Amino acid sequence: MEIFLQQLINSLSVASVTILIGMGITLIFGLAGIVNFAQGEFLMVGGMITWALVMAGVNFFVAMVVAMLAVGLLGLTAERTLFRFTLTRPMNGFIMSIGLSVILQNVVIRTLNEVQKSITPPVTAVWTVGGVDIIAMRAIVVAITAVVVAVTYFGISRSRYGVALRASVADQDTAALMGIPVKRYVTGVFVYGSVLAGLGGALMIALFPITPFTGSVIIIRGFAVSLIGGLGNVGGAVVGGLILGLVDALAAQYGFPQWTDAYSLIVMIVILILRPQGLLGGTMGPRAT
Amino acid sequence: MTNHNMQSPTQPVTARVSLPEAKPRYMRGIKEPTREEWCLGILILAGLIAFPFFDPGYRFLSLAVSTIFTAIALYGLSLQFGQAGIMSVGHAGIMGVGGYTAAILANQLGLGFWESLPLAMLLSALAAAVVGLPSLRVGGQHYIIITFCFCALLVIALTNGGTFTGAATGLDVGPIPGVFGIRFAKLDNMYFLCLAALTISIAVTFAIVHSPYGRTLWSIRENEPLARAVGINTNLHKIGVFAISGAFAGLGGILQTYYLRHISPELYGAFPSLYLALMIMLGGARPLYGPLIGSIIVNFLPELGGLDPIDSRIAYGVGLLLVILLLPGGVSGGLLSLYRRGTKTRHRLEKGRGLS
Amino acid sequence: MTQLEIRGLAKRFGGVQALNGIDIAIDGDGITGVIGPNGSGKTTLFNTIMGVHKPTAGQVIWDGRDITGWPAYRIAATGLVRTYQQAMSFPGISVLDNVSIGFEHGCDRAAPRRWTSPESLLGFVGLDGRGDEIAGSLSFGNLRRLGIAVALAAQPRMLLLDEPGAGLNDHEALALRDLILQFPGMGMGVCLIDHDMALMGAVCSRFIVLNFGTKIADGTPADVLQDRKVLEVYLGEDA
Repeated sequence: MEIFLQQLINSLSVASVTILIGMGITLIFGLAGIVNFAQGEFLMVGGMITWALVMAGVNFFVAMVVAMLAVGLLGLTAERTLFRFTLTRPMNGFIMSIGLSVILQNVVIRTLNEVQKSITPPVTAVWTVGGVDIIAMRAIVVAITAVVVAVTYFGISRSRYGVALRASVADQDTAALMGIPVKRYVTGVFVYGSVLAGLGGALMIALFPITPFTGSVIIIRGFAVSLIGGLGNVGGAVVGGLILGLVDALAAQYGFPQWTDAYSLIVMIVILILRPQGLLGGTMGPRAT
Repeated sequence: MTNHNMQSPTQPVTARVSLPEAKPRYMRGIKEPTREEWCLGILILAGLIAFPFFDPGYRFLSLAVSTIFTAIALYGLSLQFGQAGIMSVGHAGIMGVGGYTAAILANQLGLGFWESLPLAMLLSALAAAVVGLPSLRVGGQHYIIITFCFCALLVIALTNGGTFTGAATGLDVGPIPGVFGIRFAKLDNMYFLCLAALTISIAVTFAIVHSPYGRTLWSIRENEPLARAVGINTNLHKIGVFAISGAFAGLGGILQTYYLRHISPELYGAFPSLYLALMIMLGGARPLYGPLIGSIIVNFLPELGGLDPIDSRIAYGVGLLLVILLLPGGVSGGLLSLYRRGTKTRHRLEKGRGLS
Repeated sequence: MTQLEIRGLAKRFGGVQALNGIDIAIDGDGITGVIGPNGSGKTTLFNTIMGVHKPTAGQVIWDGRDITGWPAYRIAATGLVRTYQQAMSFPGISVLDNVSIGFEHGCDRAAPRRWTSPESLLGFVGLDGRGDEIAGSLSFGNLRRLGIAVALAAQPRMLLLDEPGAGLNDHEALALRDLILQFPGMGMGVCLIDHDMALMGAVCSRFIVLNFGTKIADGTPADVLQDRKVLEVYLGEDA
């Protein structure tokens, strides 16, 4: 049982990274109607930037913030030059995001190499709580994610900005008539989703080594997280992440470890077939009925 | 609106449609290729037949073989995506079902290429139909993600299949047994075999697109609720087109297997599937030669442009972005509209069709 | 006489009772108009009859068969065909292909063909010579005609028209009226929803009035428009 608890906490820290990416996917889908396939690559780029800075002697937490800003800038550029033009044809946006992900992955391979990168954990302490050993860095990752999730959730459900945002999702035309700058909101959400991916990348490299191919692995889990909970539903992404974490922990403890990735995919596919809108009910994108 | 052109309601009531009886039943309703279409087809075929005689060298000839079996699989995707409007990024996985069927049959039962061919196509069709089932419940982007996950699952399953699937190292197959003394171990002959399969694939695609069934597929792409309202069992036809698409992928997959003589799981993962989707977008999903052009571009670009694999992938990515932003019909669609602009309105009739 | 009979049809969406046990019998040789204020359940009625929504309760009997809960394509094959208010055509393909699709499917095998070819049907609705154009490039009025032609191509014995007059100018509405008036003579019953009372008054031999998912009046247009409840609920709101 203690081993299972440790597995659970380990899985929770992994789940944190997937929740961050899943939340980005869900937010961008909810407002722009685009499932951003490049979100995994955004995360990988964030991790690589963090790695480069830490290698250059920068403090991890400073590097993390720089990575968030840099990936946010990347998102801004992508939205302004690419996705802005496919808002009315989300399928094209989705296919473009596949192209973007191919580009980013290979640009990183070109500028660095294919070898996996890792940093020494910025915090090396191990805490013992109630007989269970907890690696401090993992706890910090979970805590940071929890704070970000809470801020995002309340930002969307409570603040004036969030209300306007949800109005835009419900009906972009009417929202525009009411003076809500819908396009700027789309950009804002895209950038915010990208920043979350940058944060996810920084947190990930604090836990595990990453390679230029990490993005394409993590994106599947990001999709799983956001689809299980319901695309466009922030709370859903969190629930999806927790379910995935639990599935991983159970699989690692009781299942066949080489099938670990398969379990989460199967859970996702089964949920999508039984409840296409996800567990908590997602939107079908802006203005789609 | 004036009424003088409306027919009186009673006059035509009793006539039943009589179809031209000259053609066999399965040919009815299929539009004959126009003279232009014949010319273009024969020209392209002649060029492809002539290719090995220009002494392209081993490297280029093997690229051509890859181009062709990939294009065969893409013709399936062009029916599914170009005609019925349902994109998938799991097509390499379906190719893998065909390839592994052949390789497992060869290793377990000692069956050769010709015996495995129908089974590989059948199982691929079946797999594609099963993978297509969720599309009846979830649409568009959700479905694409499911197909992507299917590929990831397939790779995990193949990697953990023990000696049955050869695990991570994969399986070997022998050469294709010769027919009438033609040895397919020779690359030229392999090329011609693939070319024959490609010709059949293009002909079948043309027939489907220019038949009532093609229109049925368009109705799903254009307006599914209305299609149902005029009596089309859209669910059945979606699964049907997935199965057809899968059969093409199976054919491409088994040719790939017997060309490479060794297959392993990573050939059929999510990324190869993404590249297939990319090729169909680059070439154009609806024009008849779009899949072939897409496959040529992606297979030959690195060689002709002197790009290493990494640079060429970046180039595909950039190409994809440009095509979507500037040329929504793909490269062949762009060529087509250039040609049309040259020949003006003669082609008005074809504009609305799925292919031209 | 073919007949569409609806018995106690009810549909609930979450907490909203969209249809509240409706009983209607529509003959296969007349033109029946369904009217009512926005949100009264008219389109939901069509959708529930036609297999788009599953009814919560009640039955739909068409031509002696219980078609409750049948999938839409099977209902169409029995000769009961509907049009959509918004999604009228297959926009990306030619006008002729649009109509051909209906011709190749749907077709109630028992009914005699009224048109020998898609071209003659296009002529009937006034789109002759436009078969090669892309449906999506047609003017709005022509798009409406095409929408009706696509449904007619499926050889219906009864046609349900969802707001065929919406967005048409006076001239086009007049032409639409003349078109609809020909259907009963061709052995086709019509049931239509529209807000254009001039059109409805001109074509319908019977009105059914819905309000909050309940039938509040049913009879000849003259009788129904005298009805106090109708005047209060429906026309009172308009005036």
